[in-house]
Amino acid sequence: MDAAAALTRAAPRSPRRFHAGRWVLPVYTALVVAYLFLPIVVMIAFGFNDLRGRFNFTWQGFTLEHYATVFTSQPRMNAALLNSFIVAVVSTVAATTLGTLIGLALTRYEFRGRGPLNLLIFLPIATPEIVLGASLLAMFVSAGVERGLPTIIIAHIMFNISYVVVTVRARLAGFNRAYEEAAMDLGADEWTTFRKVTFPLIAPGILAAGLLAFALSIDDFVITQFTAGPDQTFPLWVYGASRIGVPPQVNVMGTLIFGVALLGVAGWILLQRRQASLLATPGVGP
Amino acid sequence: MSAWLRQRRWLVPYLFLLPGGLWLLIFFLVPMLTMASVSLQEGTLGTGFRMTFNVGVFPEVLARWDTQFLRSIQYGLIVTLLTILIGYPMAYTIAFRGGRYKSILLLLVIMPFFTSFIIRTISWKFILADQGFVLGTAKEIGLLPEAFRVLGTPTAVIAGITYNFLPFVVLPLYVALEKIDHRLIEAANDLYASRVQSFLRVTLPLSLPGLFAGSLLAFIPAVGDYINAELLSGTPDTVMIGNVVQALYLQNNDYPQASAISLILMAGLIVGVIAYTRVLRGQELTA
Amino acid sequence: MTDQRNDQTQIERAIARALAQGRISRRRFLRQAGKGGLITASALSLPAILAACGINPGGSGSPGASAGSSLVGGTPSGKLVFANWPLYIDTTNDDVEVAEEAGQRESATLDAFTAETGIEVDYVEAIQDNQEFFGTIQPALAQGSDTGWDMIAPTDWMVGNMIRLGYLEEFDVAVSVPNFVANAADKYKNPSYDPNNRHSVPWQSGVTGIAYNPALTGREITGFGDLLDPAFEGQIGMFSEVRDSLSLALLHNGIQPKDATEDDVRAANDLLKEQQPLVRGYYGNEYAQELADGNLAVTMAWSGDVFQLQFDNPDLQFVVPEAGGILWIDNMCIPKGAQHPADALAFMDYVYRPEVAAQITEYVNYICPVPEAQEIIRQHAAEAETDEDREYLEAVAESPLVFPTEEMLANLHSYKVLSEEEERLWNELFQEVTLG
Repeated sequence: MDAAAALTRAAPRSPRRFHAGRWVLPVYTALVVAYLFLPIVVMIAFGFNDLRGRFNFTWQGFTLEHYATVFTSQPRMNAALLNSFIVAVVSTVAATTLGTLIGLALTRYEFRGRGPLNLLIFLPIATPEIVLGASLLAMFVSAGVERGLPTIIIAHIMFNISYVVVTVRARLAGFNRAYEEAAMDLGADEWTTFRKVTFPLIAPGILAAGLLAFALSIDDFVITQFTAGPDQTFPLWVYGASRIGVPPQVNVMGTLIFGVALLGVAGWILLQRRQASLLATPGVGP
Repeated sequence: MSAWLRQRRWLVPYLFLLPGGLWLLIFFLVPMLTMASVSLQEGTLGTGFRMTFNVGVFPEVLARWDTQFLRSIQYGLIVTLLTILIGYPMAYTIAFRGGRYKSILLLLVIMPFFTSFIIRTISWKFILADQGFVLGTAKEIGLLPEAFRVLGTPTAVIAGITYNFLPFVVLPLYVALEKIDHRLIEAANDLYASRVQSFLRVTLPLSLPGLFAGSLLAFIPAVGDYINAELLSGTPDTVMIGNVVQALYLQNNDYPQASAISLILMAGLIVGVIAYTRVLRGQELTA
Repeated sequence: MTDQRNDQTQIERAIARALAQGRISRRRFLRQAGKGGLITASALSLPAILAACGINPGGSGSPGASAGSSLVGGTPSGKLVFANWPLYIDTTNDDVEVAEEAGQRESATLDAFTAETGIEVDYVEAIQDNQEFFGTIQPALAQGSDTGWDMIAPTDWMVGNMIRLGYLEEFDVAVSVPNFVANAADKYKNPSYDPNNRHSVPWQSGVTGIAYNPALTGREITGFGDLLDPAFEGQIGMFSEVRDSLSLALLHNGIQPKDATEDDVRAANDLLKEQQPLVRGYYGNEYAQELADGNLAVTMAWSGDVFQLQFDNPDLQFVVPEAGGILWIDNMCIPKGAQHPADALAFMDYVYRPEVAAQITEYVNYICPVPEAQEIIRQHAAEAETDEDREYLEAVAESPLVFPTEEMLANLHSYKVLSEEEERLWNELFQEVTLG
C-alpha cells in the first residue's frame, strides 16, 4: 500500500466523533470517583447532625458542636486513632522494605527455593483474614506472648509483605536491565547504580505498594480484632461503638482525617507544579 | 564491603529474602501449623481440647456447610468480575490519560479508604435504606415498587464487597498499565490497527500481570469476607463461610470445627488459584 | 495495661494443656526470633517486642487452684480495672472541679469516685459479647490465675455459668456492699442465677421485648405472634443472640425458659425455622438502625435502645410480649484471681448510692436497680437549666423502659441457665435458623 493511503487509514476518523469519544473515559472516571466518595459525603454530613438522643441515624438539624468536642469527648477514640496511626506507619515501612527486597530478589536473581518461596508469599493472600487472625491468636497464646500493639504490628507486617511483593513484582517484571548495565558501564558501582538508576525507576511501584500497605493496615479490622488484646485501633473502636450507635464525633474524626489527607494531596499537587514550572524555566534546574 | 559481597554474589538474593521470608515463616507458617493441629482435636472450652486425630471433622464440615462454601465462591466470582469491569477503565484512564494528574487520581482512589470501613459501610446502610434518599425518592416517583429493597439481599452484600475491594484492583492494574511502553501501541497503530484492535492485542495482554494480581486481590478476600454480610444483611440466605467461621470461633468457641473450615477454605483457594495460574501461563507466580 | 498480666507463664501453660498440642518452647521461640535479624529500620526488632510483651523466663510460682470459697474484702488498694459493655456509663464530666481533682475528664461518676476514695479506675469497654469476652478470660480462669480484670459485667446467664465453673470470687454482700442491701429493689436480690448475691450485684438491667413502628405496621403489636405474621414479611427483625430468640419463642409456646426441656427447645426452634422466610435479618445491636431507617416494621428489641430511638421518632413503641418477655441483668462481679477485689467492692457500694445510680441511669437509660433514683431524677428535671435538659430528664424519670411498672415486671422472666451440653444444643439448633 502506498504511503498516502497508509497515512489516511491510520488517521483518526471524523474530528467530531473523536472529540466525543475523548470524554467518555474521563467522565466515567469522575463517576467512579463520585461513587467511591458517596459514603464519605454521608459521613461528613452526619458530623453536623444535631442529635437529640444517642443514635446518629436520622437527620435532625445542623450543629457545629461536635467539632468543638471531638478531641475531648471520646478519649478512647483518640487513643485508638493514635494506635492505628502508629501501627500503620511502622508496619508500612517495615513491610514495604521487606517486601521490596523479596521482590527484587525474585525478579532479578537466580536462586534455589524459588517455588517454595513463591508459595510462602502467596499463601497469606490466599488465606482469608479470619483464618490469619485466628491462627496468629492461637500461636501467640501458646507461646505466651501478650497481645497488644506489638502483636498487631507483627500481624500487619506479616500480611502486608505479601501484598507489597505482588504489587512491586508487577512493576519489576518488565524492568529493563539495560539501564543498569549502562550505568555500570559508565563506571558506577552497584550501590550507586541502585541509588541513582534502579531505585528512581522502581520508586513509583514501591510507592504504590507502600500506599497499598498503609491503606490495608489503617483499615484492617478482622486480623486486628484477633491480635489486639486490650489495645484498640480505630476500626475496632468504631465497630464496638457502632453496635450501639456511632457517636457523631466519629463522623467528625473521619471527616478531619479525610480533610488532612485532602490537604496533603493538595500540598503535593502544588509542590509538583512548582517543581515542574521550575524545571521548565530556562536557566534553572540540573 | 562491596568487594566482599561481590565475591559471594550468590549470597545476595538470600540476604534479600532472609528478613521477609523469616517473618513470614514465623508469623504465618507456624500459626497455620498450629491451626492444622487444632482442627484435629476435639473438646470444649470448658473441658479442654484433646488431640484425637479426628480426620472425620473435614467431611462433616463440608457436608454441613456446603451451601455457604458455594455461596462464598459464587459471590467472590461476581465481585471479581465487577471490580475488574469497573476498575479497568478507571486504571486505564489514569495510566494513559492521567498526565500530571496521575498520582492525584490514584490518591483519590485510595483516600476514601483512609476512613474506617465500618463508617463507610454504615453510610452505605443509610444510603441504601429502604426509605432512604435514594430508594425512597425512587419509590415516591414510582420508579421502583414499594416492596423493593437492597439491604438484606445478596445484592447489598456483593455491592459492599465490590466497593471495599475496588482500589485493590485499580492499583495493580494501574501499575501494570503504566509501565507499558507507549511506543508499542504507536507501532500497532502505525501498522494499521484500529484503536480497539491495538487495545485488545497490545494493551490488554501487556496488562495481564496487573489483571492477574488484581483479580486475586479481589477474589480471595471476597470469598472469606464476613463483615459486609454481617452489616449489610442479617439474613441466612446471604451467610458466607466467613460468617460461619466467626460464629463457630467466637460464639461457640468450637475451635476444631472453625479451624477445619479454615483449612478447607485455604486449600480450595490454593487449588483454584494454581489452576488459574496455569491458565494464565507465563505469569509471575511460577516464574 | 500490659503491667496487669504478670502471670503469662501460667496462662501459656494452661493453653498448652488445654489445646494439647506440641508446645513451642520459649527458648526455641526466642532463639528463632533472635535469628530474625531484621534489616528494617523499625525499632521493633523481635526480641525487643517479646521483651516488651513481658515474657518472663523466670516465671512466678504457681498459685494452685483456689481452695474452697474464701470471701474477698478488706481495704482497697487504690486501683481498679473494670471491663464493661460500651456506652454503659456516663462519659462526660461537666463538673470541672471534680474532674480536675481526679485527674481525668472521662466520666462524672468515675471521677467523683476517684476523687472521694482515691481509687483510680481503669475503665475499658472490652465486652461486646458475653461468649466472646468469656473466651478471652477463660484460659486464665481455668488455671486459677489473674485475668487482668478486677471487675467485669457479664449478663446473668454468663454469671451463672461462671459460678458453676467456680470462676468468680465470693463476697458477703451485707458487709461489703451495704448500699446494695439498703437501696436495691427486691427484684434484684437473691436472683436464681446467684442465690443471695454471693458473687454479683446488678449493674444495669434491661428488657428484651418487641419494638414496632406503627406507621409501618398499621396496628398495635401485642406479642411474639405478631412477629410471625406474614403481613410483615421482609420487615421482621429477630435477634442473633440464641438465648433471646429461643426464650421468646419458648414463652410464646407457653413454656417458661427455666423449665424448658429438650423437646420444648426443639419445638421452639422449629417455630423459628418456620418463621425464617419472613425475617429480614438476625441482628445484634444493628437492629436499632434498621428500625430507625424504616427497614423494620416490627422487631425484637432492647428497652434502652428503644428509649433512645424515641427521641428521633416518638412514634416508635416498645412492648413486653403478652406471653412474656425477658428481663436480663448485667452484673458486676469479680473474677477469680483479681488483684484488687476490695476496690471492686468499694465501687459496687458506691454506685448503689441513689444519687450515683441516678447519674448513671440518666446517661445509660437502661433499667436502674435503685428505685429511689427515680425521685432524684425528677428533682434533677425540676432543677434543670434548659428546657431541653428538663424534657430529657423527665422522659427518663417517667419512662417505663427505665423504671418499669409492677405489671411489666410480673410478665418478665429470666434466661435459663444452661449446662455446656445444653448450650451446645441450643447453639447448634439456632444456627440452623440463622446460618442455614
